[in-house]
Amino acid sequence: MARAPFSTDLHPLRQFLPSLLPVLEAQPGWYGSVYLERKTKLTHTVNLRQSNINDEVSLGVVLRIYDGYTLFEQSSDQLEPEALLQLAQRFAGRVAATPPAAGAIARPYAPVSWSERLQLPLDDEIRVQIPADANAATEVHFGIRCEQDPTRLSNEAILGRLKAIVERTKALAPDAGLAEGDLSFVQAQQRYAIEDALFIDRAVNMSQTLYRIATVLVTMSGPHRAHSVVGGLGGQEVTAGLEDKIAGTLADLAAVRQAELLTPGQYRVLIGPSIAGVLAHEAFGHSQEGDTCARGRSKAWDLFQSGEIVGNQHATILNNPAIFKNGDEDFAAWGSYFFDEEGWLAQEQVLLEAGQLRAPMTNLTSALRLGVPRSANGKRESWANGVYTRQTNTYFSAGDATLAELMQQLGDGFVATQPAGGMEDPKGMGIQVGIQFLQEVRDGKFTGRVFRGPAGGDVQLTGYTPDLLNAIVAKSKIEYTRSDADEAVHPQNKVGGCGKYHKEIVHAGSGGPYMLLAQATLG
Amino acid sequence: MAHLWTLDQLKSTLDNHPQVKGWIVNEETIQRRERYFLAEKGGALVIDQDREVEVNNLSARLFVKLDDASRQGEVSKKFFYSLPLAPQLDSAIAAGLQTSHQAWPLPTAATELPSVQSADPAIVEDLEGSVSRLTQDIATAVATPRDARFDSAELFLSIHRLTKHLSNGLIHRSLSTRIYVEAAYSCSKQLADGSVFSDEYLDTRWSVRLADVDVAGLFEQAANHARYAVEVSKTEAGRYPVIIHADVLATLFHDQISQLSGSNAYHQLPFVAVGDALIKSTEGDLISLALDPQQPFGADTVAISGQGVPQALLPLVEQNRVVATAADQQFAHYLNLPAPTTVRGTVTVAGGRHSYASLTKAAPQVLEILQFSGLFTDANSGTFGSEIRLARLHDNINGTVRYLKGGSLGGAVQENFKGLKLSDVCVRHSHFDGNNPVGQAYFGPECALLTEVSVAA
Repeated sequence: MARAPFSTDLHPLRQFLPSLLPVLEAQPGWYGSVYLERKTKLTHTVNLRQSNINDEVSLGVVLRIYDGYTLFEQSSDQLEPEALLQLAQRFAGRVAATPPAAGAIARPYAPVSWSERLQLPLDDEIRVQIPADANAATEVHFGIRCEQDPTRLSNEAILGRLKAIVERTKALAPDAGLAEGDLSFVQAQQRYAIEDALFIDRAVNMSQTLYRIATVLVTMSGPHRAHSVVGGLGGQEVTAGLEDKIAGTLADLAAVRQAELLTPGQYRVLIGPSIAGVLAHEAFGHSQEGDTCARGRSKAWDLFQSGEIVGNQHATILNNPAIFKNGDEDFAAWGSYFFDEEGWLAQEQVLLEAGQLRAPMTNLTSALRLGVPRSANGKRESWANGVYTRQTNTYFSAGDATLAELMQQLGDGFVATQPAGGMEDPKGMGIQVGIQFLQEVRDGKFTGRVFRGPAGGDVQLTGYTPDLLNAIVAKSKIEYTRSDADEAVHPQNKVGGCGKYHKEIVHAGSGGPYMLLAQATLG
Repeated sequence: MAHLWTLDQLKSTLDNHPQVKGWIVNEETIQRRERYFLAEKGGALVIDQDREVEVNNLSARLFVKLDDASRQGEVSKKFFYSLPLAPQLDSAIAAGLQTSHQAWPLPTAATELPSVQSADPAIVEDLEGSVSRLTQDIATAVATPRDARFDSAELFLSIHRLTKHLSNGLIHRSLSTRIYVEAAYSCSKQLADGSVFSDEYLDTRWSVRLADVDVAGLFEQAANHARYAVEVSKTEAGRYPVIIHADVLATLFHDQISQLSGSNAYHQLPFVAVGDALIKSTEGDLISLALDPQQPFGADTVAISGQGVPQALLPLVEQNRVVATAADQQFAHYLNLPAPTTVRGTVTVAGGRHSYASLTKAAPQVLEILQFSGLFTDANSGTFGSEIRLARLHDNINGTVRYLKGGSLGGAVQENFKGLKLSDVCVRHSHFDGNNPVGQAYFGPECALLTEVSVAA
């Protein structure tokens, strides 16, 4: 299988940028680095009225100086070598003229060599792409595997496929019980991006190229909505399954039209993998972000230090940017990459193990402030935005039950699928998970009744995080329809996004198994 | 990577291209400064990150001719001066030819445009000085003794310059500024069992001018709310009269604007037509709502729309009756409206007759939302919901005020606005969403009372 190459037109910049490092390390104690990013995004959209193409490119460089106290960054999209050199010199002057605040504590940093990096437990997908004799001058490249090169697909072919999906959706609507006129809006959209990134410091010169593809089908009937998404990192094969989801999407829409209003209360709930993912993300994802801990804004940091138990034996949450086989699929999960935007190589990390907190995820400055190991979670919305500790793929570990067994264990209650956002409360430990689709179950079987929230909107699952994590009764296998042992290694992570402090949107995967909760507040 | 061509060359090539029907070119530059503050061990205020950003964008929306004259192709594309022009243009036009829209003409170029106040001259003149001034304000606020612990703050300032060029000859330059300040404080207290209960409050403000950012007030409120956050009891389930404040009202009314838009009408999304009631069978205050693109220092104060249509005050709803549809040139043409209308601007809602104090006493128990965890709204259904991060329960039977946390509030505009009571004090609220060039601007009641809102706990 081929790998995405680093875009050739960026090579001259790659060769030039190391020459800026002496400027960025002009003073003793300064750690200089350079991050270059280009995201070439093509969005094709077809709906009942029109078709459209949007071609966006975001290209810029971040010059970075960490002086032992503060991380300074200078971001620009003026990439002419002479302009960059002048920018670097002006930037270094600004940093030199900014003394550390009174009372600031020095936390020096030195870059990590390839030989030290190779001591870490790395996924084979990463290890095989690092030359054994790599040194500071070696241009190491990581490319995502792809079967069907997405760069070769024409606009005509993509729009043709999307038009066919829209037409097929209209054609299948009567089979779902939707009369003519019930289907007021249908839209199929493919979002495709080539994401090149380059990180250079005095110890490494590494690049990565990701192909990110998602296809989305949205259907509406008046104010009611149902949708399906397929996506991941790889070639066009990543989006192959959307056509198979049309009938299900229409069935969901027909059901939502007939949905009843839920009486708020405490219920026994079986949550699907995508809801479990949002729960993991909001529970001990956000609160385990190192910068939030360093700001004194997370209860998780106190709980990690005290060792207090905050969930039962099923409550194990991981974050992992190195998921190159998503569930039983042979492509990478949405939140994956080879290294983060501060040049740290991706690794699996356990955030919560059987109810006990482990060390948080970090970016460079939060790792130094907290005195915990670095992890590959330094991410930014774009080169023009600041770096924070961000989640990649966050998920609950798998259990050993089949879905059929969990349905029996559920007995009377609800099955919740299709997330509708979520919100963390890192200090207060509250949690909010939106649910678009809630089906009633009696005696382990679907009754056919579907519920919306008490006022007609999405259902909100809320509560105190430790209470919810202690309410997990059982978890499914990754391949939950099979009774034999899982072959897949990582639970399925769904396509998603994540905001931080009410802004700063990044890609994130979230997932897990089906999970049975003994009791949760739904309203 | 020198410039290989000029903007004039791009415009002239587009003008002379036989397949190009029209175009809109946007030239944008952004200068931004950012500082991320936190409390060092020992309490000193330090800067964790200090950033300077410069962004230059040249993007175009191209309209191309198709064989069927009733249709046209359309593509949006970013251009780079450092790459040869012809291949960029050729690929854009080829892409546009693959698409299909109902044809529409650009408007005739306006000759007179309103002058608007969308930028703070002090920031434009001295960005670095403004950063220093607000940094000092933050340092002063942090140094002020309080019964809560300062955790962190962020400060962003930016200047946005946009020049819009249209194939109808219009060239329009605009200038805007943005300020973002946030403050997080926390508090803790020992419980009877010896354990420690702690919580925090994060408060944020967006604005266009320095005079609208009250750093001292923001930090004081964050600290006060952090203190309240550790005095909470759990919210009890039920149906409550609920007071919501301007930040929530801004979001809910913006959602309503989409249902008054030509875009929704054309795409057969939920739409309230002229003559219809905004809130069906209401017994509460009647809503009067307008788009005001010339509101001084609003987050969406503009002279023209994205399609070059001059923007002027547009009443959309008067006394709960819809009086206009918000439609830019494209959708006005599609819907056969006499002329395009205003689609940008501050959502302006007329104030009501009720004081805040009277709203808190409007029922035996009134729940006042101080902060939602994350307000999720659906513009199509008008529904909204969130966990309650911090609320106040005004118990008018016992004469007490208690702080609450937790529980899930869910509502729908059509149901819970039926007994709406609007406060008599109007305020401005601004919000910018990441890198979205269009801000969310609101000028209207500081708070409102909704009725019969469901809370699950």
